[in-house]
Amino acid sequence: MGYDAMASAPASIPRDLAKKKRVNRTAKLKQCKLDARREQWLSQVNKDSKGSGSLTTTSPPPNPLLPQVKKTKLKKREERDRSSESVFLHEMSDSDTPSQCPSPHTSSNGRPISSSSSIGCSSRSISDPDEEETNHREEEEEEEEEENDVLDDWEAVADALTSSPNDQDIKFSSPIKTLTEPPVCHVTEQVDSVGSNMTQPVRAAPRAWRPDDAFRPQSLPSISKQLSFPSMNCHYGVGDQKGILSLPSSCPICYEDLDPTDSSFLPCLCGFRLCLFCHKRILEADARCPGCRKKYENVPGGTPVEANESVNPLPIWAARLSRSCSVNSRY
Amino acid sequence: MQASRARLFKEYKEVQREKSADPDIQLVCDDSNIFKWTALIKGPSETPYEGGVFQLAFAIPEQYPLLPPQVRFLTKIFHPNVHFKTGEICLDILKNAWSPAWTLQSVCRAIIALMAHPEPDSPLNCDSGNLLRSGDVRGFQSMARMYTRLAAMPKKT
Repeated sequence: MGYDAMASAPASIPRDLAKKKRVNRTAKLKQCKLDARREQWLSQVNKDSKGSGSLTTTSPPPNPLLPQVKKTKLKKREERDRSSESVFLHEMSDSDTPSQCPSPHTSSNGRPISSSSSIGCSSRSISDPDEEETNHREEEEEEEEEENDVLDDWEAVADALTSSPNDQDIKFSSPIKTLTEPPVCHVTEQVDSVGSNMTQPVRAAPRAWRPDDAFRPQSLPSISKQLSFPSMNCHYGVGDQKGILSLPSSCPICYEDLDPTDSSFLPCLCGFRLCLFCHKRILEADARCPGCRKKYENVPGGTPVEANESVNPLPIWAARLSRSCSVNSRY
Repeated sequence: MQASRARLFKEYKEVQREKSADPDIQLVCDDSNIFKWTALIKGPSETPYEGGVFQLAFAIPEQYPLLPPQVRFLTKIFHPNVHFKTGEICLDILKNAWSPAWTLQSVCRAIIALMAHPEPDSPLNCDSGNLLRSGDVRGFQSMARMYTRLAAMPKKT
């Protein structure tokens, strides 16, 4: 296949030139391919989180794949909720009792925002359900205008509208359930914001931590990862970036920020710092310091260890030998 | 599982941010699976691999970064520490000398360093290792250069 390349190249100097040229071409070709791939990917990512354009091009949101994986599931759920809502509204419109409208967050906190959402909610229950539905659709279309699979999902909505008597339960159980569990509260937010956004573009109230909140646990999923409103995405994306930039000292293993306990935690003499979580995971595994590869010793107090007998258990020749056994070690 | 995913996302961001930091390495994550990465590395200069672009495939275990990524050459390469057929790489940091502090980027750098400094005493490619061990550097280099030409450079159209 490539032997002709060898054969046809005449002398050494011209051959080198030709080689260089060809090399350049490969590099360019491959680069083009990779760039195209990357751009395609980035555009997908951007689709998920609109806004903060310059930010996303240089550093896309922290979780580019998760939204896509979750997207369909979330959307389905949203729609199921919404459809069940409309079923509910059909029933409610007979009695016209706004007090029974399903807004668990109004009771859970007494902030002014919650009142606005409750107004939206009550007005919703009074208004004509069909009109409501179309409103929802418009919103949905604005919200996901770039999605190609919207039509499919509308079919799903139609299906759900005609036949889903059980979904009512889901509607009522899900917000309450998610309120008790802060890490998954984004589901509630999405449901709520779909409703409350109509009357007033106020972001939904029931959130345990604001994204820029200093007390927000790092382990909580970044809300910008979740598929939600573009404006929210923008906001949270910026907040996330700030959070990362303002705390440059992060665990080199999991790349999460070090909290004060972690930063005062010095498990190894070599000075390699890491967060307590990673340290525990490593202790459960091979218990060697990632920095110097020495064995960690009784470290729970975080006191520096004397580790001299296990400085380098293998002499150099042994380390070299160990390379040769790699054929059947792990592959 | 979750930790490895989070870490890989962070590494992805890092790679995006410092895309131009190391022109010899291009790390690309699979579109649909963050546990599969591909890297393109340029053969180091003043080696028989100069001018070649070698593709690496990363398969990352769920216990990453506690376990090393599995890396192999997709591009054929004549190197004492790379299996000629499978592309498996014999590199201590990919085996027992792995540290969670390494990143995919640094693994790429280590592989480039290995290309420049073969270890003929622990060969996966015995022919290549024997050439070097018997002192036939010239023979080794011409073989390696030939395969670089054949596999790591664009075909003549």
